[in-house]
Amino acid sequence: MKACAKWIRDGIGFDALLIAMALTYLLAFAGLPLLYNIIISFQVVDMFSLNQLFHEFAGWDNYIEVFHDPAAAEVLWNTTLFTIVSVFFQFTLGFALALFFNQKFPGATWFRGLFLAGWVMPGLVVGVLWNWLLSGDFGVINWTLETLGIIGEPIFWRSDVDYSLISVILANIWYGVPFNMILLSVGLAGIPEDLYEAAALDGATALQKFTTITLPMMRSTIGAVIALGIIFTLQQFDLFAAITSGGPAGSSLVAQYWSWELSFRQFEFGRGAVIAVLMIVVVLGVTVFYVRSTRQETRL
Amino acid sequence: MMGMKRIYKNQLLFIVALFAVALYLFPLYWMYTTSLKTDTAIFAIPPQLLPSSPQWQTYIDVWNGSNIVRYMSNSVFIATGVTLVTVIFGSGASYVLARYRNVWIDISLFTVLMLQVLPPSLMVTPIFVAFASIGLLEYPRIATILAFSAKTMPFFVILCRAAFMTIPRELEEAALVDGNSRAGAFVMIVLPLARNGILVAALLIFMQGFGEYVYSASLISDNRLQPASIGMTNYLQPNIVTWNSIMAFAAIYITPILAAFVLLQRHIVNGLTSGALK
Repeated sequence: MKACAKWIRDGIGFDALLIAMALTYLLAFAGLPLLYNIIISFQVVDMFSLNQLFHEFAGWDNYIEVFHDPAAAEVLWNTTLFTIVSVFFQFTLGFALALFFNQKFPGATWFRGLFLAGWVMPGLVVGVLWNWLLSGDFGVINWTLETLGIIGEPIFWRSDVDYSLISVILANIWYGVPFNMILLSVGLAGIPEDLYEAAALDGATALQKFTTITLPMMRSTIGAVIALGIIFTLQQFDLFAAITSGGPAGSSLVAQYWSWELSFRQFEFGRGAVIAVLMIVVVLGVTVFYVRSTRQETRL
Repeated sequence: MMGMKRIYKNQLLFIVALFAVALYLFPLYWMYTTSLKTDTAIFAIPPQLLPSSPQWQTYIDVWNGSNIVRYMSNSVFIATGVTLVTVIFGSGASYVLARYRNVWIDISLFTVLMLQVLPPSLMVTPIFVAFASIGLLEYPRIATILAFSAKTMPFFVILCRAAFMTIPRELEEAALVDGNSRAGAFVMIVLPLARNGILVAALLIFMQGFGEYVYSASLISDNRLQPASIGMTNYLQPNIVTWNSIMAFAAIYITPILAAFVLLQRHIVNGLTSGALK
């Protein structure tokens, strides 16, 4: 007993205890739910059977119902579109800003930091602010586009089935640009200055420096940032809750919202769990790619 | 001549930066401006960039008439709980993960990274069903804190690990030579040196807890216990045209976060950039 206490206070047991605290917690509140999720995706779980831990076995019924749901194809398409378009613009705008602020001019770091004000905001509030900016009759975005002559009549962003998903994408790009920019800035700051100086002596143009030095040196950072962008975009829920709730008529419904809606609006927990299982497989796949990118980063 | 050219270039870059920041932060500006306009001025075409007669009364009405004080105290309760759980369970682990480099550490780190990416809106289904069956939903705010902390802890560990990595091993070894136990050296030497990094990470976790939505929306059904993110959606429905009140609600909710951000901007950016990609 005494030896044990000493082992924890003074030996490797101290490290074991510290790491066990975090891992046990994560196992209890993330690992077990992950497994339990798989179990309930094969069970009949509704409001009446909620108070028991194990429920009637359903076989593949939940999976079959989800795949035969008329919404399934559109959800798959919307989720793909939402992720690709969001990540593309978050990344390109973030990269452009990172390159811009990487030029050493007075106040560059301070200005760059201000962008993170968007990142620290609650997602729900960001959604509500964009609701107002995108308002059909009195929104400042419609007014600007009409004044510039880009559109002839107001777009009802949130209630038009052709624009509802775009509304959420716009808000999501705004929300995600700062984080992309900061991560890419870290990568840019890590490129040795003398590489550029040597290239300048050889008479390289700005474009040549970018394609032959910046891009190759940033390869693993870019991989990690894009993977993280996909991961965060697949997590995005608050903006959908605030802006469209997946509507109108499912036109902006994505998988991570559909799963929640099945569970907490229709109380079909089994089917909600099915979508969660499938999505988590996708997210974990992207994460393996992300971890590999960051590992290369630390070895460089 | 080169000097003059450099100055012009800097001025030009400065102006472009100012313009880019102003454009980016416009949604926040528009929130504050709208919140101060009259009920009719919010619908003016063309939109007014500045309110002609600022209506501070709107803030008083929202403060008194929307339960925002109760909602925000619930947000503070949840954010405090999440921060405490995350810091207590996560700090030690980030120290160990920074101190060693072997296959066990790699496996632990990989586990942590994997758990960071699980989308809350997907994890909440099993958590809700499990919590309902073991009776934890009787304490919905505690349930929210426990569930959300599993989401924030991996992020916290990754940020703090970077802070612990900057502390020279020699300082800790010197303390051990002086007769301190491992635990003593950790508490007396390592933790104080990593203090700033831990505080910044804790602040970011507090901000996330303050704005949390998915778990609260799914686990807390009693209106009196709901945080301000839910309060915001509750407030939207009956007030859908009074955008000045809605924006005042939003402004009251997020101004504390923005103020903390502006005051500590440099530390937050440093904490993020040192931890984010390593």
